[in-house]
Amino acid sequence: MASAGPSPGMGPIMVLNSKTQRTHGRQAQIGNIAAARAVADIIRSTLGPRSMLKMLLDPMGGIVITNDGNCILREVDVSHPTAKSMIELSRAQDEEVGDGTTSVIILAGEMLINAEPFVRANVHPTVIVRGYNYALQEALSICEKLALTVDVHDADRMKALVQSCIGTKFSSRWNDIMIDMALKAVLTVARETPTISSTHGGVSDVYSQKMEVDIKRYAKVEKIPGGEIADCAVLSGVMFNKDVTHSKMRRRIENPRILLLDSPLEYKKGESQTNVEITDEEDWNTLLKMEEEYVENMCMEIIAFKPDIVITEKGVSDLAQHYFAKANITAFRRLRKTDNNRVARATGATIVSRTDEIRESDIGTGCGLFEMRKIGEEYFAFFEQCKDPKACTIILRGGSKDVLNEIERNLTDAMLVVRNVVFDPRLLPGGGATEMAVSVGLRKAGLKLEGVQQGPFLAVGEAMEVIPRTLAQNCGVSVIRTVTQLRAKHAAAYEEAEKENGGGVFPKCNWGLDGTTGKLVDMEEFGIWEPFSVKIQTIKTAVESACMILRIDDIVFGSKKKGH
Amino acid sequence: MSAPNPASTGLFINGQRETGQDVRVGNVTAALAVANIVKTSLGPVGLDKMLVDDIGDVLITNDGATILKSLEVEHPAARVLVDLAKLQDQEVGDGTTSVVIIASELLRRGNDLVKNGIHPTTIISGYRMALKAAVSYIKKEMVVNVSELGDDHLINAAKTSMSSKIIGKETDFFSRLAVDAVKSVKMNATAADVAGYDAMGSGGGGGAERLAESASATAAGGTTAGGTKQRYKYPLSAIHILKAHGKSSMESNLIDGGFAINAMRAAQGMPTFVEMSMDGTPVKIAMLDMNLQRHRMGMGVQVIVKDPAEIENIKRREMDITKERIRKIIDAGARVVLTTKGVDDLCMKYFVEAGIICARRCNREDLKRLAKATGGRVVTTMADMEGNETFDAECLGGCDSVREVRIGDGEMLYVYGCRGHGASTIVLRGANEYMLDEMDRALHDSLCVVKRMLESNTLVPGGGAAEAALSVYLDDYATTIETREQMVIQEYADALLVIPKTLAVNAAKDASELVARLRSVHAKGQHSEDMVDYGLKFMGLDLIEGTIRDNLAAGVVEPAISKIKSLRFATEAAITILRIDDRISLNK
Repeated sequence: MASAGPSPGMGPIMVLNSKTQRTHGRQAQIGNIAAARAVADIIRSTLGPRSMLKMLLDPMGGIVITNDGNCILREVDVSHPTAKSMIELSRAQDEEVGDGTTSVIILAGEMLINAEPFVRANVHPTVIVRGYNYALQEALSICEKLALTVDVHDADRMKALVQSCIGTKFSSRWNDIMIDMALKAVLTVARETPTISSTHGGVSDVYSQKMEVDIKRYAKVEKIPGGEIADCAVLSGVMFNKDVTHSKMRRRIENPRILLLDSPLEYKKGESQTNVEITDEEDWNTLLKMEEEYVENMCMEIIAFKPDIVITEKGVSDLAQHYFAKANITAFRRLRKTDNNRVARATGATIVSRTDEIRESDIGTGCGLFEMRKIGEEYFAFFEQCKDPKACTIILRGGSKDVLNEIERNLTDAMLVVRNVVFDPRLLPGGGATEMAVSVGLRKAGLKLEGVQQGPFLAVGEAMEVIPRTLAQNCGVSVIRTVTQLRAKHAAAYEEAEKENGGGVFPKCNWGLDGTTGKLVDMEEFGIWEPFSVKIQTIKTAVESACMILRIDDIVFGSKKKGH
Repeated sequence: MSAPNPASTGLFINGQRETGQDVRVGNVTAALAVANIVKTSLGPVGLDKMLVDDIGDVLITNDGATILKSLEVEHPAARVLVDLAKLQDQEVGDGTTSVVIIASELLRRGNDLVKNGIHPTTIISGYRMALKAAVSYIKKEMVVNVSELGDDHLINAAKTSMSSKIIGKETDFFSRLAVDAVKSVKMNATAADVAGYDAMGSGGGGGAERLAESASATAAGGTTAGGTKQRYKYPLSAIHILKAHGKSSMESNLIDGGFAINAMRAAQGMPTFVEMSMDGTPVKIAMLDMNLQRHRMGMGVQVIVKDPAEIENIKRREMDITKERIRKIIDAGARVVLTTKGVDDLCMKYFVEAGIICARRCNREDLKRLAKATGGRVVTTMADMEGNETFDAECLGGCDSVREVRIGDGEMLYVYGCRGHGASTIVLRGANEYMLDEMDRALHDSLCVVKRMLESNTLVPGGGAAEAALSVYLDDYATTIETREQMVIQEYADALLVIPKTLAVNAAKDASELVARLRSVHAKGQHSEDMVDYGLKFMGLDLIEGTIRDNLAAGVVEPAISKIKSLRFATEAAITILRIDDRISLNK
């Protein structure tokens, strides 16, 4: 009988399912870093004004042409778990602030790459993580000091801001139009929310926003292929792709009275199943008549309020159309719920669900002009010149569908930038200036730090340089020379501040990189600014995710499905 | 598994049989393999595991129970350990990794003893004796009674528990969060609950144990002025954890006395915010578990009408039934209506006109909690005994205000200032989903620890201090035993050292030296009569500096119950596996 351990005769003892694979220790850590590097490398070339687009082919044969970080990574099918986790970052960034999706991946990748020497040198990951976290706190405080507050209604400043955001994008040739559109759209849908009154007594609420900007719901982008990009416009009102139900109806009405419905204007059977058995000829007629009367009743109830336009989310029967045409009412049917909501907000109408409950207050009168227009082969209903519209439609025109899709993504980014500034009107210099300032600041602070975490702390500073470096790389200037010059500028500002004030005061150095020419410029004069919230979010996400990935020392493939 | 020759077993069974040492070795090897998987995740410098399932979904965790649950462990003895971790998770909520490590170490040493010719039953009785002695020693010597528990202790305990986790770098922030959350759900305990806590402490008790128990109970009870002091309970189920990706983990927050529900307004025309009126009448919330869609008759119900006009009436009635219901709810004073089922678009207008926030398809569990929090009831039907339909205003919950808040890309309804029993919501933010899941697990462990502390009012020093003290004590205790259990108890004493050893190894420190120093300090403390050395028994490891220190002063503490329970569970599991000397796996 075997007495020691699993003897050769016994065979191995299978504890885990034989399908599972494990990678652990150093190998897992290095593998994770390599995966992160690979993901960052995919989108490295899409950063900055000299960025290139990527063309992605999906399995169905469709194509996506974009340089939006999130959009690229969403389409890329990766198998490494760490790479997946990186891609998630970009999604979270997109949902939270809507911009900086490329930088977050590049930064997170660089954080991990810079950790590699420490991992190889047997520095414990928790030490690295601790160093990174100190650095994060320090970096955030540097950003706070650099930040500049802007007035949301200062149009020039806001324009410059949006400019720097979409300057990198495909649509940069039509920047002026894009910027005006983004600004107008966001300021249209911005609405003050009721503030919590003082009766509350100290309920401190991080999320109490004074402004509500719901771009997703109330700023609709309609893409119409054809025409020129210069024809794009933001309506002071809404528009949708529907034709009137009856050709005899009016196609242009000034100051219309609008009624919105979400119920059908046709005969509809009840919820409960009904079977009709008819034995008498008379009854059949009665039934038909009832159906007609039902529709007639509804129409009469509507007509009593003398609306000029009736819009419903459901169907309108021929009979009802007839009544409306007779009463000189224009009717639309099968409008989407979201579109109906927008119309309601733009015109001040309330959506009614039963015709017998219409009230005078439900009628919307905020619209100045209703008109049917034909663009290309299709008819569009325009509700324009609204009084204080809190919803709008953005019309995009352009050569092809792919171009329009890319412009839409750019515009969405631009609108989100404006929204972020409306929420938090602080700005940071762009063009790699913030990153370089943080990097230099961290280097100064790091030298004062004691203990093993100094190395990782300094590594974060170095990693921040990846943004100016990539910018320089993408516009084709000498990377090392440019970045060194930039670093020298920032370091000099530091020295100066220290000499003058004896340290402690943070120098405001806004030198950065002009991403188009690769020259060093003062961002203050050049006018490239980015929203504070986006920058902060990028740095936070990058460091936190890097920490999470560094903490992993074991990867098990083929585990059970998450069963909670 | 290799098949022993069926003929040699002498049995003609349709399957395979293993006996004696073979099966024991197999079991122990399996248990060690399981422990090895989780070993590196122990302690403040432990690391995380990334688990990838067949589909490619990723799980990143440091929690022993979660790791083991997600692994497909096939070996039956190893399964015992997996269940052990699960049990610890349910009963205590924390210490899942350490319980597995102790159990596997006990098994390894037990197996060596068997090889040296000691019968398993002796080992089992020795382990039992050692356990009893250890538990009574913890209760007598190690436990620090904190009759009026300060926040410091709670925060320290929460910090200790989360130090090994992903949120370990922001312990100050999260421990505060955990303590505040648990405190906000304080409730008066019933007599049954109190009995439950006491039972939790004792269990397999002997005489000495009982004594210590009653002593600690009176201490916890404090000044008993004409009756027992009111004790409290802290139902963790009242703490709601919501996860939303985006922002950073430091922006997680606690809504004290509030509740957040992952739902949005059903129609855009509804207000985003309602609050109590100036005179302080709370906002009334109706929680429904019924459909507010157009009424439809049950399957198989047949109505025969003679007059065709009646059909029209039926149709009208269908709409009116729901309308009347809504009217009744509104008349009862509800200003927020939440339902688990659908709400017809048809009915939105009534809510919009009345300025009511209505949300549909809410999670039923969430609603139940909200009902508890706001002092209302979830209404499943409006029918009353008379066959009419009424809406009882009693069912409405109350709160200060309700607001729809945009978080990331979605919306949530925040209910502030709930008027019922305590309730709290923690909204976690983080870089991505995996991180949030892990933060959730880590926070849950800390919440459990804080709860145990508050309920039992006792703590022990962590960081290997308790284990080292026990090891020294049991070594001495062994010498007082004259039977052959003596050897077993000594082995038990050594086995406990696996915790400080693993901690030191994970921190890449010299484990042998550190543990030796720790033991010598504890031996000095226990053998000395001098009061100066009294504090030596709280000495534990400092894993960052690689030295030893007074962990009680350093604030590395754990609830005593958690320690006792994990010892008990580990020992029981080891005994269960050691008793096995025959394994038959039948062919299906």
